[in-house]
Amino acid sequence: MSYAYLFKYIIIGDTGVGKSCLLLQFTDKRFQPVHDLTIGVEFGARMITIDNKPIKLQIWDTAGQESFRSITRSYYRGAAGALLVYDITRRETFNHLASWLEDARQHANANMTVMLIGNKCDLSHRRAVSYEEGEQFAKEHGLVFMEASAKTAQNVEEAFIKTAGTIYKKIQDGIFDVSNESNGIKVGYAVPNSSGGAAGSSSQAGGCCS
Amino acid sequence: MDRSINFRGIAGSAGNIMQGMGKFVFGNDGPESKEDSYVERYLDRISNGTIPDERRSAMTELQSLVAESRSAQMSFGAMGFPILLNVLKEDREDVELVRGALETFVSALTPIETTQGPKTESEEDFYVRYYTIQLLTALLTNSLKRLQEAILLIPRGITVLMDMLMDREVIRNEALLLLTYLTRDAEEIQKIVVFEGVFEKIFSIIREEGYSDGGVVVQDCLELLNNLIRHSSSNQMLLKETMGFDPLIAILKIRRGSAFNFTQQKTVNLLGALNTVELLLTGGPSSESGKDANKNANQAALAQKNILDHLLLLGVESQWAPVALRCMALRCIGNLVLRNPQNLDSLAKKQVGEEPHVQPALNAILSIILRTSIAQEFVAADFVFKCFCEVKNPNGQALLASTIAPHPNQGDTHRAASDMPFGSVLLQALVSSDVNGDMEACCRASSVLSHIIKDNLQSKDRVLQIQLETPTPSLGRTEPLLHRIVTCLSIAASADRENDQSSHLEESYIQPVILRLLIVWLVDCSNAVNCLLESAVHLNYIIELASSKRYTACVRGLAAVVLGACVLYNASREKGRDAFAAADAISQKIGLTTYFLRFDELRKSLAHPSSEQRHRKELSRSSANSMSDFQEIEEDETNKDDHHPVLSEIFDSQFVNFLNKLEADIRENIMDIFSRTKTATAVLPAELEQKNGEVDGEYIKRLKSFVEKQCNEMQDLLARNAMLAEEFVKTGGGNTADTSQKPSSGRERVQMEALRQELEGAKRQIESLKTEKSQIEAEANHQRNLAVKMESDLKSLSDAYNSLEQANYRLDTEVKTLRQGGSVSYPDVEAIKAQAKEEAEKDSEAELNDLLVCLGQEQSKVEKLSARLAELGEDVDTLLQGIGDDTAIPDDDDEDEDDEQ
Repeated sequence: MSYAYLFKYIIIGDTGVGKSCLLLQFTDKRFQPVHDLTIGVEFGARMITIDNKPIKLQIWDTAGQESFRSITRSYYRGAAGALLVYDITRRETFNHLASWLEDARQHANANMTVMLIGNKCDLSHRRAVSYEEGEQFAKEHGLVFMEASAKTAQNVEEAFIKTAGTIYKKIQDGIFDVSNESNGIKVGYAVPNSSGGAAGSSSQAGGCCS
Repeated sequence: MDRSINFRGIAGSAGNIMQGMGKFVFGNDGPESKEDSYVERYLDRISNGTIPDERRSAMTELQSLVAESRSAQMSFGAMGFPILLNVLKEDREDVELVRGALETFVSALTPIETTQGPKTESEEDFYVRYYTIQLLTALLTNSLKRLQEAILLIPRGITVLMDMLMDREVIRNEALLLLTYLTRDAEEIQKIVVFEGVFEKIFSIIREEGYSDGGVVVQDCLELLNNLIRHSSSNQMLLKETMGFDPLIAILKIRRGSAFNFTQQKTVNLLGALNTVELLLTGGPSSESGKDANKNANQAALAQKNILDHLLLLGVESQWAPVALRCMALRCIGNLVLRNPQNLDSLAKKQVGEEPHVQPALNAILSIILRTSIAQEFVAADFVFKCFCEVKNPNGQALLASTIAPHPNQGDTHRAASDMPFGSVLLQALVSSDVNGDMEACCRASSVLSHIIKDNLQSKDRVLQIQLETPTPSLGRTEPLLHRIVTCLSIAASADRENDQSSHLEESYIQPVILRLLIVWLVDCSNAVNCLLESAVHLNYIIELASSKRYTACVRGLAAVVLGACVLYNASREKGRDAFAAADAISQKIGLTTYFLRFDELRKSLAHPSSEQRHRKELSRSSANSMSDFQEIEEDETNKDDHHPVLSEIFDSQFVNFLNKLEADIRENIMDIFSRTKTATAVLPAELEQKNGEVDGEYIKRLKSFVEKQCNEMQDLLARNAMLAEEFVKTGGGNTADTSQKPSSGRERVQMEALRQELEGAKRQIESLKTEKSQIEAEANHQRNLAVKMESDLKSLSDAYNSLEQANYRLDTEVKTLRQGGSVSYPDVEAIKAQAKEEAEKDSEAELNDLLVCLGQEQSKVEKLSARLAELGEDVDTLLQGIGDDTAIPDDDDEDEDDEQ
């Protein structure tokens, strides 16, 4: 229940790329091959530990369909992190990344951490976007990049935790004003390790976001 | 300055504030462009125009102008609000114009450039926000859906509104109200505000305002909170995970003995918080997956925060608290324990009161049920028992049932109920009836008892065994509790009838509730059915309840269900008390069609608007609202419609479903009974064949008894068949057939048919007897003729004999004379004479013999026929009277002849 920080994430990307499956795999550790279309926004939560501190991730899974785009936009500003997801077997989902990113840049706070995820990497025989292309796009736009599979759970934990690590590092670096909750970061009450300050010690989090 | 005077001219004095607002919102800094004059012109046409079409087109133009130009927006802000608000007010019937006005507002308020000028906190900004929120709130009351959609389309629209919650108090309060409207039935907006941390903000405001002692703002906060969690288990989960329930419990905290401090506002605040608790305990909408998991989690989390103590304090121990509050707290207790073993257990163990006057919570709730003068409180407390007992808590039921026994001090009414065990209090109430035949206490206790025994055979049997002293102890007998309940039912019925005039409009719930107890008791419990049918009076009484027009549709329908249970759950083989007897009684005395019609009527009478809608009331915030709201709550629940509120609460959808299922079973069972024989004789028993070594006689005997048995059954079935046919004809014939003209019941019809058949058989027998008789008569005639002929034959014979004799005599004399004359000369004469005589005698003898033989034959024929006639009942003597005179002669002669020979 008690946490040092609470981070709000959003998951964005085209419809059908596996956003809801990623969330389900992360929160419930299970995969649901047939998933209802997400209507509006769904919500999930999980505790993780970074630098020995309990961190609560509150993840808001958005609908990818164009018709929900305006609703989704309302979530950008209050999020500390975003997982931008595309499907490596569907080229067009990769091609739309720029437009998603533009949306995020326009409505989100400038410090929002965006993680680019190429999902469905278990289906490499049907691959339509190479790893290098993904990596290149991330590099160009200053994103963290990972290929993952909601089905096999490969890199799913890592994606969420690495994003959290980046955010944590930004807090340590004093980039975020944590008293302003509109950044999607909330300071918890019961912090077990009170020694932690903004000293930015060479923490696990620091290692995460090279 | 000139302009502003101008504006005043257009807007009129009522627009002063708005004008000021426009000035602050959009400022006067823009260059005075042509947009200004356009806006002004359009506004003029809208406010002063007389041709509707022209006003509408002006509105359209205005809308597209403010949608495109920031400077037009500013002009509109400066001049337009009062005019368009006036349109909303005055031109309501012109839907198109109103829609145009709303669109114009939306367009005018939608930022065109996202880059905003430097923000400086000033008085002006304050007014901008204040009036903008007020305007949006006003717009929401006019066009909720549209504005909700419009706001969703504005990126960050809701985020900005959320920020207002952290603004200075006046703005915060207005923003709260706006958000309350905005989140109503708008799932997406709800999610966004939750995402933006609305829960934290709500509870921080509540804390600042002093929890339940806070003012109307606390009420608004709770209203918003309830909007957010009403239909959303994910929002409930988020509330639980981000805030926990501590702040909610903090609102419910009241000091023991602070009973007199319930101001109206505090009551409303507490009701709001209890509403939150109830929403959490009942989970999300039933369609949502994981609803139960969410509900269980909420139950556990709330119980962990000791919410039961707070609820008991509010609902049970604060008898000075407003009744609406007590009822709501009781409902929450019910929902807290529903299907939750741990919470059930803690309620069972809980004690209330302060030392030394403590008593089990359940006893205290029971005494609320028995004592309260407010029907709603009875229902709410009854709900606790319903939740405690009915859903998978057989142990709790058994626990309560085990204490039900007559208390040694039963008659001592002054004794404090708190000293008596639960069951004794209950039983005392069950059998009590005051002098006026007021069965209210019995009815309420019946309701509790029905929860205790529902779906619990063991408890049913246990309660069945309770014997009570009869009201007239002179008889010195005891009677089962079940019989007493039926007696109470009849007392209630007669009491109701007496009070008919006084409370005609209000349908009594007393009989329905007692009938419900009977239904619950009989279901699945053949012992109870058997006990009920022990006395034929009971069945007849229930039939009377089900058929008489004196009773309400609800009572008749429930009585019909009781009858159905008597058939369905009847395991008796005793004649007159078995399922067949009950089914026959139903079909004879009520008629199956009418009987099943009772179920439909019952369903209609129990159909009530969903409680969901009832609890929704229009949000209004005026200075008086806390007061009026509170009264609304009271009135809302006591005077709904002509239907008694208790009925719709007690006969909730769950019970209605239970009845529906029962009805289906009853229908099937009765159909089954009508397609079966009582003894269930096989159509072709194996023993129909002759057994080895069985004597024919025995075999025939056996077959005969079998046939007899089948014959009886056939009669039975025919009777039923006739009854059904009659019913069918009656209902099929519609209204035209005057059924009263055919009073004969089915059974009579069958009897008549049997008689008719018997009569026909007799007729046929008579016919055959008649022909037999005429045959015999003809024979007799023939015989008579024969006799006459024979007589004449005999006569001629005797004549011949006589003449022979004479001739003989003459010859004799002749011979004598001749002998005397010369006897020698005529030696031959004697010889000849002898010879002749011998010859003659020989001849006549042969002839006579023939005749005698013939006569003898005829005689035996007559005898035989006579005997047969006698056998057939004919008076032979009279029949033969006519013949006797004639026939007697040959008879006699015959005999004489015989004798002579």
